[in-house]
Amino acid sequence: MTATWILLAIAILVPVLILMYAVGVYNRLVTLKNRFQNGFSQIEVQLKRRYDLIPNLVETVKGYMAHERETLEAVIQARNQAVGGLQQAAADPGNAQAMKALAGAEQGLAGALGRMFALSEAYPDLKANQNMAQLTEEITTTENKVSFARQAYNDAVTSYNTYRQTFPPVFFAGMFGHGTDASLLEFDSETIAEAPKVSFS
Amino acid sequence: MASVLAFLSHCTFFSTANMATDFYSRQDTARTSTTWLVVMFLLAVVGMVGSIFAISYVGVEIYNAQAKDSGHIVNRAIASDLSSDLAYLPAVISLLLIIFGTLYKVSVLRRGGGTTVAEGLGGKRLFPDTQDPTQRQLLNIVEEMAIASGIPVPPVFFLENEDSINAFAAGYSPSDAVLGVTRGCAEKLTRDELQGVIAHEFSHVLNGDMRISIRLIGILHGILLIGLLGQIIFRVCAYGGSRRNSKSESNGIVFACIVAGLALIVIGFIGTIFGNLIKAAISRQREFLADASAVQFTRNPQGIAGALKQIGAVVRGSHLQAPGAAEASHMYFSKGLKGGLFNLWSTHPPLETRIRAIDPQWDGTFSETDTVASGFSADGAQGFAGDTSTTSPPAAIEVVDQVEVPTAVHQAYAASLMSEIPKHVLSAAREPYGARAVTYCLLLDREDEIVRQHQLQILTDQAEADVARLTHKLIPYVDQLDVRTRLPLIDVALPALRSMSPSQYQTFNDCFEKLAQADNQLNLFEWMLSEVLLTHLRPQFETIRPPRIRYYKLKPMTDPCSILLSTVAHVGQSAAKAADAFAVAAKTLPELKQLRFQSRDESGLTPLRQALKTLATVHPKQLTRLMDACEAAICFDGHIKPQEVELLRGISDLLHCPIPPLLPGEDISERL
Repeated sequence: MTATWILLAIAILVPVLILMYAVGVYNRLVTLKNRFQNGFSQIEVQLKRRYDLIPNLVETVKGYMAHERETLEAVIQARNQAVGGLQQAAADPGNAQAMKALAGAEQGLAGALGRMFALSEAYPDLKANQNMAQLTEEITTTENKVSFARQAYNDAVTSYNTYRQTFPPVFFAGMFGHGTDASLLEFDSETIAEAPKVSFS
Repeated sequence: MASVLAFLSHCTFFSTANMATDFYSRQDTARTSTTWLVVMFLLAVVGMVGSIFAISYVGVEIYNAQAKDSGHIVNRAIASDLSSDLAYLPAVISLLLIIFGTLYKVSVLRRGGGTTVAEGLGGKRLFPDTQDPTQRQLLNIVEEMAIASGIPVPPVFFLENEDSINAFAAGYSPSDAVLGVTRGCAEKLTRDELQGVIAHEFSHVLNGDMRISIRLIGILHGILLIGLLGQIIFRVCAYGGSRRNSKSESNGIVFACIVAGLALIVIGFIGTIFGNLIKAAISRQREFLADASAVQFTRNPQGIAGALKQIGAVVRGSHLQAPGAAEASHMYFSKGLKGGLFNLWSTHPPLETRIRAIDPQWDGTFSETDTVASGFSADGAQGFAGDTSTTSPPAAIEVVDQVEVPTAVHQAYAASLMSEIPKHVLSAAREPYGARAVTYCLLLDREDEIVRQHQLQILTDQAEADVARLTHKLIPYVDQLDVRTRLPLIDVALPALRSMSPSQYQTFNDCFEKLAQADNQLNLFEWMLSEVLLTHLRPQFETIRPPRIRYYKLKPMTDPCSILLSTVAHVGQSAAKAADAFAVAAKTLPELKQLRFQSRDESGLTPLRQALKTLATVHPKQLTRLMDACEAAICFDGHIKPQEVELLRGISDLLHCPIPPLLPGEDISERL
C-alpha cells in the first residue's frame, strides 16, 4: 500500500517536473532566437544606412566619371539587388537561403563599389571633392559597423544552434518548432576554406 | 478572509499616507509591502497546505471505514497503520511544488531580466538609427527621462501589433530594466502626454516596483501549480480507474485520488483568486505613487492626465492582445486586461480616480480631449464609462501640493545637457560600434600627458584597429565636453554596449580595464565612471550575485561611514569647510557617535573602495539614510558641483540604492 502511494506520488511529480523542464527549454529557445533576430535588426539598420548612402555617392561621382557609366550603373544595380536581398533576409533572419542570397548580393555590391573606387583613383579632382571624401568616410564607417553587428549576430546564432543541439533540449527543439539550425551571415570569405589536404605518402 | 481584508485596508493606508512623503519613503514602502506580500502569501500557502492535509486526512479515514465495512481484516490492519503517514504526503508534495514553482519562475524572470517579459509580449527592440519620426521621438523622450532620473537609458521595446495605449517597465533592477510601449501609445499621444507615461514607468523603476512585480508573478506561478497538479491527478485517475476496475481495493484508491484531484483543483482555484487579489491590491497602490512621481518628474500634470484621458477616449483603451498579457497584468501603465467585475481584482485604480488625483478640475468627460490625434474615433468612451466608480480620489490635495514645487526641472536640464553633446558623438554613443570608442575616450586621462600617451598605446595594441581609429577621431570632441555630460554620455552608451555579444564584451572589457588602470593610481572620477559603467554592464554578461545583507543597523559601520562622508565632504568643499560639512552630515546619523572626520590623505580611493564594499552589505533602508547624509554634506555650501553629482551617482550605483540626481549648479537652499 505504501509503495502504491509512493509510486503514485512519483507518477505525478515526474510528469510535472518534466513539463516544467520542457517549459524552461521552450523559453530558452525563444529567448535565444529573439536574441539573434534582434542581432539581425542591428545589421539591417546599418545596411539600410549604407544602401541609402550609395545613390548619393553615385550622384557625386557622376559629374567626374561620365565615361564610366557602366561601372556606375553596375553599382546602382548591385545596390538595388542588395536592398531586395535585405528585405527578404529581414523577413526571416537565420533562414539559410535568405542569408545566402543577402551575402551574395552584398558581395556583388562590394565588388562593384570596389571597381568604382579603383577607377576613381584616376580622377584627382574627385578625390579632392569634400562631399566625396565625406561619403567615402561614412560608407567605410558603416561597413565597420556592419561587420561588428554581423559578428554579434553570428555569435548569437552560434549560441542558439549550440543550445538547440545539446542533449536534453535536442529532444524538445523539434517539437517546439526549433528544428533547424539558424544560418550564419558571412560576407568576406565566400566559401569556408577547404580543409588542408594532408598526404601521408 | 479577514486577514486579506485587513491587508487591503493596510494598502489604502499606504496610498494616502505616502503621497506627501519623499522618494526614499516610497522605496521603503515598496520594501515594506514586499514584506507584507510575503506574509500574506505565506498565510495563503499555509491555508492551502493545511486544507490539503485536512482533505487527505478525511480521505484516509473514509478509506479505512470502507475497508472495515467490507471486512477485509488484513487490509484494515495495513490501512490503519498507514493512515497518519498518508495524510501528510499530499500536503508535503504540494508544499514542495509551491516552493519549487515559485523559485523556478523567479529565477527564470531574474535571469532573463525585463527583455524576456518584453519579448514575451511581442515587443521588438527599437534602435537609435530608426528613421521613423514617432519612434525617434519616443527614444528621445526615454533618453531625456533616463538622464533626468539618473539611471542608464533602458532599451525600448515597441509593441507593434498593439493598437491600444499602454506601456510597461520590466526588469529586476535599473541595470536590466526595459520599457515596452505600444504603437498606439507612441502614435496617439502628444509629446507631453507620452512624456508623462514614460515618467510614470521610470518612477516604477526608481521606486523599486519592478522587483515586487517579478516576485508576484513567481509566487502566483507556484500557487497555480497546485491547480495544475489537481488536474493531472484527476485525469490520470479518472482515465486509469475506468480501465482497471476489477479489484475493489484499487477502486478505493482511484476514488480517493479523484476526490483529491478535485480538491486540489478547488484549492488551487481559491489560492489563485486570493493571489490575484493581493497582486491587484499592491499594484493599485503602486500605480497612484507612480502617477504622483511622474508629475514630480515632469512638473507637468497635464501630460500624464492627458494620456489617461486619451485612454478613456480610445476604442481599444489600454487592452493588450498578446497571449501572455495576463501574467504581467500588474506591470502596465494602465489596465491591460478586459473584464474584472469587481474593483478588488483590477490591477489599476479606476481611470477616473487616477485622473482626478492629478487633475482635480477635470469635468469627467473623455470626449473633450484637446489633442485628438488623427485616426481614431472618440465614441468608445462608454467602454470605460461603465467602469466609472465613485471612489473619492485619494489624497488629491497632497499630489497637487507636490506638483507646485517650483524647483529646477530635471527634465529640461537633461534636454539641455543632451544638446551640448555634439551630434556625431551622441550618435556614436547610441550604437554598439561607436559606443566603445566613446567609452574609451571618456577614460583617457585629461591631465597627465604621459599617462595619456600610455593609454593611447594600449588602445593601439589592444583594441580592434578600426575602433582605435574611431576613438582617435572622437578624442578632440569628447575632450571639449563639459564634465557634466560625462555621466549622461555613459548612460546613453549603456544600452548600445549591452547589445554586444559575449565574445565582443570580453575584448571590450579587457581593453577597458587596462585603460582604467593605466595610471596605476586611479583618479576618483575615472574610477566612479568606470564603476557606474561596469555595475550596469556586467550583469548582462556575467552572473553577479547581489551582495548579501549582513547588517541591519549602521552602528557597526562607523569606520566605513566616516570614510565615505569625509570623501564626499572633501570633494565638494574647500579644505577649511570640509570638516563643517562632515559635521552637518554626521548629525543626520545620530546613532553613530564615533564618526571621525578623516583628512584628505586618509580618505583616498583605496579606503573608499573598501568602505563601499563593506557598506553594500547593509540593509537598503539604512543605506538610504546614509545617502541622505551624503546629500547633506554636498548641500552644505548651497552649491552643487559636477564632481559631487558624479560621486553621489557612483555611490548610489555601487550601493544599489538608486536616487534621483542632484543637479549641478542647482540652488538647493529650498531643498534643505
